[in-house]
Amino acid sequence: MRFPRRDAQRTEPIAISEADLDAMTADLDEMHHASMPALRDAVDELKQLHADVRATAGGLSNTLANRRQFLLGSGVVLGGLALAACSSSSKSSSPTTSPPTTATGGSGKLTGDLAIVALAAGLENLAVGTYQAGIDAATAGKLGAVPPAVVTFAKTAQTHHKAHASAWNGVLKAAGERPVTGVDTTVKTGVVDPAFAKVTDVGGLAKLALELEDVAAATYLGGIGAIESNAGIKTAASIQPVEMQHAAILNFVLGQYPVPDAFAQTAGARSTSDMIG
Amino acid sequence: MHLDDRALAERIEESRDLHADSMHETKAALDELVEVGQESRDTRDPEEDARVARDTGRRLTAGATSGGVLAAAGLGAALAAFVSSPAFADQTTDVQMLQTAASLENLAVATYDTALTLPFIGGSDALPVVKAFVTTTKGQHADHAKAFNAAATALGGKAQNAPDPALLAVVNKAKPTLTGPAPVVALAIQLEDGAAQTYVAYTGALEDTNARQVTASIMGVEAQHVAVLRAVQALVAAGHPEYIMLPPPAAQLPAAAGSVGFPDAFYKTDMARPATEGAVK
Repeated sequence: MRFPRRDAQRTEPIAISEADLDAMTADLDEMHHASMPALRDAVDELKQLHADVRATAGGLSNTLANRRQFLLGSGVVLGGLALAACSSSSKSSSPTTSPPTTATGGSGKLTGDLAIVALAAGLENLAVGTYQAGIDAATAGKLGAVPPAVVTFAKTAQTHHKAHASAWNGVLKAAGERPVTGVDTTVKTGVVDPAFAKVTDVGGLAKLALELEDVAAATYLGGIGAIESNAGIKTAASIQPVEMQHAAILNFVLGQYPVPDAFAQTAGARSTSDMIG
Repeated sequence: MHLDDRALAERIEESRDLHADSMHETKAALDELVEVGQESRDTRDPEEDARVARDTGRRLTAGATSGGVLAAAGLGAALAAFVSSPAFADQTTDVQMLQTAASLENLAVATYDTALTLPFIGGSDALPVVKAFVTTTKGQHADHAKAFNAAATALGGKAQNAPDPALLAVVNKAKPTLTGPAPVVALAIQLEDGAAQTYVAYTGALEDTNARQVTASIMGVEAQHVAVLRAVQALVAAGHPEYIMLPPPAAQLPAAAGSVGFPDAFYKTDMARPATEGAVK
């Protein structure tokens, strides 16, 4: 078999039945659910280790430098997520440094790994909400013609982000903390809301989604260098590649090279100084 | 085909620029790793190494299950036993994992090299976008190999310049079957997914924080290769390789094409390679 050269005028339907497509979708769903037990194991381990971490709080580790950097936001570049709405805040003169804090804004006074967990949950919730807003806009006909594959992408990615948020909230609940039902409001008000207001077509929505996926992937990569719990590292490691896969397909759809970097970046990673609410 | 060669060339150029930037950042991490590695060698405690090896083995085996496409190559079978292997008693498990990672990258480079000799991948019958992807991906794997080897040598180990022996056998066995795009893509998916799963598992197992960060910065890139290849595989299977272009004709794609690239919400590790598989003996 060889790749036939593309016939520019070829428009015949794809040789695949609806039943085949349904079966493929069902297979995907089954594979998704099959991956959940491993995650639950990791979360259970994280719950146990969280108690250990609390019991030994105060001990320094060789991750201290990365951890402080991530928790305080110092050195964390905001990258593409220029926070226009924050331009009058204390961050305006230096977006690469954030005010020191050990708590996430809207979820109490969480510190350490749990602050990172809350940040992750807030970003995942924001992704879920943004995809939903996009789906709603498409359904209402506000984005023009929306290809079926794009709808499938949005719904599947949204499902993934719901699962990620659920995993992180499971950690919070196990630690006796309230789950994060809100979103990262720093990113929402500073980036998503202004950008979404300007979205008029599928391409615009894809660009916004790509920005969010890139930020999530960067945050998880930064988090891997900051989280102390091994189970937490495992969970972040199981999610970061999925966000990058979402980004690859979005780049592809946008006509951009789908794997632009040989090494994943932390540029654009969020820090726990973000407000969650 | 409707491929804007100039636009593609520009994007590849942009990709190279981004790649150069990322290499710069990675070099900084590796420089730090060299420093840490030198300190580590100066202060190594055999008993501590043994403890770390035991702990790492436990972490690796905790999430591993047998089975999967690469199971025939001994996938996961050696996970539980590797820490007691006398052949590797003089090097840390971190070094073994980094060497095995380098061996996976070396194999990927060699396999893409082979693919580029095929007329429908790298020859006159190839789609330019496919050839460009294979060429770029091969270069990224070469960079990954350098990064893993730099990390391994920084921790006192030797560089691994050979391919993973177990998977090399799989590739060699598959070579006669590479008579068209479909088997080539399927083989590439196996290798890329195996590498991605291995690095996800290693990220949760590596003791050295900088080695972990290098590995973590690569795992998602392999996952992206998988996503693109799965999309390509679906279009080839559907009889529409002509849709493989930048951007694809989104309106003509089947609905399922929107999710075929990323089947799991959480990246699996059941195909992760044993830490000793590609380690230098």
